[in-house]
Amino acid sequence: MGEFSKVFVLLTPTGQLSMEDVPTMVLCKPKLLPLKSVTLEKLEKMQIEAQETVKKQELALKEHYYQQIAPE
Amino acid sequence: MEVAMDPLFLAWSYFRRRKLQQCSDICTKILQDNPYDQAAWSLKTRALTEMVYIDEVEVDQEGIAEMMLDESFIAQVARPGTSLRLPGTSQGGGPSPAVRPMTQSGRPITGFVRPSTQSGRPGTMEQAIKTPRTASTARPVTSASGRFTRLGTASMLTNPDGPFINLSRLNLAKYSQKPNLSRTLFEYIFHHENDVKNVSVALYLQQKELVNITLQDFDCCNKNVLFHQALDLAAQATEHAQFRDWWWKVQLGKCYYRLGLYREAEKQFQSALNHQEVVDTYLYLAKVYQRLDQPVTALNLFKQGLDHFPGEVTLLTGIARIHEEMNNISSATEYYKDVLKQDNTHVEAIACIGSSHFYTDQPEIALRFYRRLLQMGVYNCQLYNNLGLCCFYAQQYDMTLSSFERALALVANDEEQADVWYNIGHVAVGIGELTLAYQCFKLALAFNNDHAEAYNNLAVLELRKGRIEQSKAYLQTAASLCPHMYEPHFNLSILCETIGDLQSSYTAAQKSEDAFPEHVDTQQLLKQLRQHFAVL
Repeated sequence: MGEFSKVFVLLTPTGQLSMEDVPTMVLCKPKLLPLKSVTLEKLEKMQIEAQETVKKQELALKEHYYQQIAPE
Repeated sequence: MEVAMDPLFLAWSYFRRRKLQQCSDICTKILQDNPYDQAAWSLKTRALTEMVYIDEVEVDQEGIAEMMLDESFIAQVARPGTSLRLPGTSQGGGPSPAVRPMTQSGRPITGFVRPSTQSGRPGTMEQAIKTPRTASTARPVTSASGRFTRLGTASMLTNPDGPFINLSRLNLAKYSQKPNLSRTLFEYIFHHENDVKNVSVALYLQQKELVNITLQDFDCCNKNVLFHQALDLAAQATEHAQFRDWWWKVQLGKCYYRLGLYREAEKQFQSALNHQEVVDTYLYLAKVYQRLDQPVTALNLFKQGLDHFPGEVTLLTGIARIHEEMNNISSATEYYKDVLKQDNTHVEAIACIGSSHFYTDQPEIALRFYRRLLQMGVYNCQLYNNLGLCCFYAQQYDMTLSSFERALALVANDEEQADVWYNIGHVAVGIGELTLAYQCFKLALAFNNDHAEAYNNLAVLELRKGRIEQSKAYLQTAASLCPHMYEPHFNLSILCETIGDLQSSYTAAQKSEDAFPEHVDTQQLLKQLRQHFAVL
């Protein structure tokens, strides 16, 4: 108990209590992901399919080209 | 003996069962035997159209060309509450950026994303090039019509013999006389070939055709009428003929809209409405007004539509969407609730109400809405991610991580994966596991190098570790990626102030104030800095 009596009491029973407001860094907020509409999903699907078709055709074209020049 | 089914009947049956490729194949065979089979031709046209059909009401994507070369606005600075262009001009009810994050284009995020909400309306050319991404490509949309053309050409590529209908060789005048073929042909050209110009020609001929018909009728009746009187009457007959078919007017309006002739489109839709009240026409007309940046007119139109079709879900949704775009989330939520009264499985309404509850500090209620979506059979990455977040903030910790695990398992592309990791990082911050949080934000950046929020949060964590230079670099990256977010500017300002670089701190604080004028901490910081400068 003797130790505790040494503690200096900062709070006064009267008067105002003031606190220093230190600005802190802020985090960006959590992000709910928006659901996609049916149209958007279909558009995306069609776009991916279209890209794949184009890729396939380009590959086929390349193969065709190499086959042509291979015999030489 | 095997009895073969009539091939046309079979094709028709395939069409009804939406097996469109098979339907088209059978029609091709029939057409090889008999190239003049109109039924098979028409059916194949319809099948090919259905393959690439997208709801025209929903499709509203503004490309850079449309946004930057827009001449339809009246005032540079619109009055508050009358424009969709300035998200900050709403009067009350808007979410504060302190609680609700923004999309890449600087709008508060909503619960639902449609083709038109993707692009936003960036203010500068630089932002325009940077932000509006199409669904999956990293390239911005250059013009709205560009995308349609690309999809159309791709569908043609699959056909080794070239396109099914060679439009340049088609005698449109001949087809426009056949009402049973002209409509399917129109839809084919509009949706499959995306050739708006040809379609308009077809339409023009169609209308001319109607005029001709009436003229002929007229001639039969009044053979003795003088020529100039006939001419006068012909003008009236034109009007009469044009008022006859609302369907063609709506199509004409759609073409004008695609061509960017909004005023002409408006006229067509309005006269179609005069002829016959159809919900779709209201939606198209409202779309025109939204493109012309007249949300208030669009709202009035929707209300007018609701007088004719009380409780119509699409009209109510339209109103809610406009309120949402004008940043008036509370009234948008009211209208979404009306939508749910009519249709309690409306995904968009449920998702939007859910997200607005989440960002107004009611994650428990948001959780109920998202659970409802789960019960309805929505099963994707976004929903599980939202469930995970709601569970965490509603203190249902047992479900949080398993939801996120599912979300990660259902991820479709890298951007989604980045967002999910970003949110897991938040959970980690929430439970004080900063190492995990650090790793999560790093992962988010690994999947999406443009994730400004992850950069900002990483900077905060770096600063806690005492790495000032690293933190500053992250903050600067975040600020340049998303200049409309206030967080990186504010953090940079604090950081610079602590290391004594008052000038940089002041500039950053000013940017933060521009992004979020009501932010109290920014105001205090600015005041403090001004005092410093005054003392100097």
